[in-house]
Amino acid sequence: MRILRYKPGHIDPARYQEFSLELDPEMSVLDGLEALRLNQDSTLMYRHSCHHSSCGTCACKINGRERLTCTTKFKELKGNTITLAPLEGFKLLGDLVVDMSPFYDDISEGWSYLKKSEYGESAQLPEGIKKFERFENCIECGACISACPATHKNKGFMGPAALAAVNIELKKSAEKSENLLSLAANKRGERLCERALNCSRVCPTGVYPARHIADLRKLIDHGIKTAGSKGKQSSGPGSL
Amino acid sequence: MERIIIIGGGGTGAAIAHDLVLRGFDVSLFERGELLSGTTGRHQGLLHSGARYAVHDPASARECIQENKILRRIAPQAIEQNDGLFVALDEADLAFKPSFLENCRACGIPTRELTARQALALEPELNPSLKMAVQVPDATMDAWRLPLHFFATARANGARIHIFSEVIGFYQANGTITGIRIFDHQTHREYDVQGDVFINAAGAWAGKIGSLAAIQLPILPGPGVMVAVNGRLTNMVINRLHKADEGDIIVPQRQLTILGTSIWLADDPDLVELPRDHEHRIIELCSKLVPLLKNKGAHATWCAIRPLISLSQTGDPLEISRDFGCFDHNDRDNLSGLVSVIGGKATTLRLMAEKTADLICRKTGRNIACKTKTKKLLHYRHFYK
Repeated sequence: MRILRYKPGHIDPARYQEFSLELDPEMSVLDGLEALRLNQDSTLMYRHSCHHSSCGTCACKINGRERLTCTTKFKELKGNTITLAPLEGFKLLGDLVVDMSPFYDDISEGWSYLKKSEYGESAQLPEGIKKFERFENCIECGACISACPATHKNKGFMGPAALAAVNIELKKSAEKSENLLSLAANKRGERLCERALNCSRVCPTGVYPARHIADLRKLIDHGIKTAGSKGKQSSGPGSL
Repeated sequence: MERIIIIGGGGTGAAIAHDLVLRGFDVSLFERGELLSGTTGRHQGLLHSGARYAVHDPASARECIQENKILRRIAPQAIEQNDGLFVALDEADLAFKPSFLENCRACGIPTRELTARQALALEPELNPSLKMAVQVPDATMDAWRLPLHFFATARANGARIHIFSEVIGFYQANGTITGIRIFDHQTHREYDVQGDVFINAAGAWAGKIGSLAAIQLPILPGPGVMVAVNGRLTNMVINRLHKADEGDIIVPQRQLTILGTSIWLADDPDLVELPRDHEHRIIELCSKLVPLLKNKGAHATWCAIRPLISLSQTGDPLEISRDFGCFDHNDRDNLSGLVSVIGGKATTLRLMAEKTADLICRKTGRNIACKTKTKKLLHYRHFYK
């Protein structure tokens, strides 16, 4: 494995380090990182928690593509050397660890992380349960942001994760639609998306952020047309 | 106020930091890696009703139902509150039912008996030959985001949380722990931290921290394998209605179904290897409850290491209590300034913290009430704000 090493003031600038590891092809890349840390270099830094694609902590670039280390098995990867690098677009803290704080800049704590479960629509509900609910698909891993060319060109861009979160909240809370759409329509919003679709390609949990951005674009275009046809009365700030 | 140093950034450390800082203590926490990267983040995601433990471990069962109700209130965004079923598949399971119901009642766990037809109407993928089922208030929790609610709230209230900061030694003077030495993985520098009381909350790794202070702890690392398969097959948690065994709990979560688990005992939590045959066995056992699982391959297979307390050891690791203990090493080992929290489980993290903080209050001569039962936690996203 070739791993990008960086420790501010210690391994600085960043450089790749090679490790040899005996592999069971069924092992995940995260299993490989754990084996390296415990047997070869206890100072190796990487993020991990759930080991099954629910927490979103372990995303990094594996052979140049954003993936979760926990659900990527060595047998899926080509070549004898696997290259690991941290996500792009976030401040590097050490080795494969980045600072995830900016991910949440445009995602409100007030937006629900639960949704109605689509499984078993026809199933009856047990006593005491009003509706079956489940967590959102987005595990907030940052892969979409790292893969998005527009995010790297324009630091102000809200990015695919936040725009997807806006559209998901919009579907749940109609009463917030005016505010949410004005967020998506602002100068840091949907207009900066370049339709590269990388976000949907790398998303490990099928959120397809590009679809949400397309949804928002339609709503915004529709809003502009509607506002235009109504004339000046409804074209004030926040009327989209 | 006294400076309290917490060692370990798992669920226990998170809840202790939250509790102590609410009581007014000066709190710092050190974790050797990412938060929740030891046991807590990897657990099956089951918010226990306690029914699982009602027959063989009623003390844990009572704690679970009490904490289940509290966590549903204080962290609703981290829980899929869909309840759970205990499913009887054969005559032996039916024979277990009376003691199960009686013990649940005695522990205060609400139950509702369902006929096979009623259970299938709620969960169509259950084995159609089931005999009956019992509804209990189990739920699915997000194993990362629920404890992150505690960290977010603790930090907002003034706790200092240090990640990738490994404790590599203790300083002692006259039989008292006075400080710790930290290795900062980010800068490769070492530094010292002084404190008034140190809390060993390292879970399955508590024995290793104890050995740095030359003390022995009654901790047994108890690994178990879990398997995630793609596709959500139920909305409710599904358990087998029988004496607690391996491969008998199915926890749906997002678009996944999480199957658990197995159990064995290990000496060193850092040297646990995943036995590959467990994956197949767990899928086989769980497919008795939900037959569709038989055709599913594993999306992920991993190991989580329970921190088992070994005070009353029995031969069968399934029979070891999931209860917890707080040890004051002043009483136990004549070593002042150090407390260890051993055992417990994710569902009871808040209660473990309450008992530990009560002990810290006794040690420091302070009489401050716990406030965490009703205090609604900040959203986990606040941790990054």
